[in-house]
Amino acid sequence: MLLEVSALTKDFGGFRALDAISFSVGPGEIVGLLGPNGAGKSTTVHALLGFILPTSGTIRLFGMDPLKHREAVFARVNLISPYVGFPPRLTVFENLLVYARLYGLNDGRRTIRELLDVLGIDDLRDTPFSRLSSGEATRVGLCKAFLNDPDFLVLDEPLANLDPHAALQVKARLVEMQRERGTAILYTSHNMAQVEELCDRVIFLDRGRIVAHGTPIDVTREMLGEDREAPALREVFLSLGGRRPRESA
Amino acid sequence: MKAHRVGAIVLRQAYEARHNLDRVTDALYWPVIDVLLWGFMSVYLGHRDGAKPGVASFLLGTAILWGVFRNFQRDIAVGFLSEVWARNLIGLFSTPLSVSEYVSGLIVINLLKAAAGMVVAGLVAWIFYSFDIFPLLPRLLPHLGVLMVFALAVGILVTGLIFRYSTRIQSLSWSITGLLMPFSCVFYPLDALPRSMRPIALALPTTHAFEGMRLVMSGGPIGLPSLVAGYGLDAVYLALATAAFTRLFHAARSRGLLVKLE
Repeated sequence: MLLEVSALTKDFGGFRALDAISFSVGPGEIVGLLGPNGAGKSTTVHALLGFILPTSGTIRLFGMDPLKHREAVFARVNLISPYVGFPPRLTVFENLLVYARLYGLNDGRRTIRELLDVLGIDDLRDTPFSRLSSGEATRVGLCKAFLNDPDFLVLDEPLANLDPHAALQVKARLVEMQRERGTAILYTSHNMAQVEELCDRVIFLDRGRIVAHGTPIDVTREMLGEDREAPALREVFLSLGGRRPRESA
Repeated sequence: MKAHRVGAIVLRQAYEARHNLDRVTDALYWPVIDVLLWGFMSVYLGHRDGAKPGVASFLLGTAILWGVFRNFQRDIAVGFLSEVWARNLIGLFSTPLSVSEYVSGLIVINLLKAAAGMVVAGLVAWIFYSFDIFPLLPRLLPHLGVLMVFALAVGILVTGLIFRYSTRIQSLSWSITGLLMPFSCVFYPLDALPRSMRPIALALPTTHAFEGMRLVMSGGPIGLPSLVAGYGLDAVYLALATAAFTRLFHAARSRGLLVKLE
């Protein structure tokens, strides 16, 4: 397995944000990490990336502890997240070139030009990041995400800021690039239709616990207790919605 | 530590300086204002009867060197803050970049900026007040090194405090040198301080650096005792700042504060 999370627990004072969750992601898989606000999705993602220290449990990426083997692990990982911005005064190309250098790309300028072209934003290369629309900024984030040709990609609400047309375009690019490169993806979103379309498996979190885990159709059947023909993750999501919301970690 | 990642941080900050006029004015504006201010003061003192010879040189020289110290300390902390303001911290540290590589990049770019500020301030002092600091630089540099290491230690500590206690204390980045200044004997010798304050002054590397610099500017040799005391204290403060940073950074990660910084 590419990612193995075992009995991951995180307490913030007296509040348990994650309660002994375990899951794995294999090479080339797209796994959805779903749940209501405060379910523990962001805490999980931030723990995987080393920004939050677990209270107990283990995380193994490529068989290594990411806290102890930062360089080897994070050379093969990338991220898109609403928590990640870019310096607003730097141009698109400058921002991406800094990341290309951080990943030690031999021909970073060529890689950036190719990615900008693939994502249809090559005309924005000299535009300061602050002048981009949210859709354009998302595409720049995708360029950054694919710069190092990652084996594992964390996509935290990647299409949230896009209008339906732009979301469709970016999703198509994402799937195309994922198929070409065989990147494993951990995908968090509140858009259940996107998740059904993109994800091989889904993990439903609620109040820091995994409440369902499997293919979208299996999770639908398990959580709704009905023999459905097609996945209905929105209904599953809504079935969790009546529970008392918790403060996000 | 990988040179290409240190270079990436230098590049990122260089781009910022190119596009952000604030960074240029920070590097050049205050050093020039300091020199103009202390230059007028030294002209005034020079015309007074009984003014000691060399007072003008002391004031201008130390104004230039204090500016280098203040800017370097501030820019180390503001470098981190600029990533927080841009919500770039998570992006940077989800790459193989380590904290030590990031700090090394900041040191390189801020040394360049401090050198630029010093050259401009030195030229202003030379043009307007006929004070030429450049021939003294080879003998001042060891003392300047004491200031830079201490500035780094203070910058690291302030950054750790911001990680732990958030940007509500970010003004420490540009105000803490003001707190150190009265005790650092920048514009007056140690014996000008009240006796009760001298132990505080002697505990600061800056005091030893400026005592040594005054000796050099009065035509004396490099003050070895000042250097030994200065670098000795630097080693202690840098070790303490690094330990404090490690502890504060760990606490911030444990409490999930890094992802909430803005």
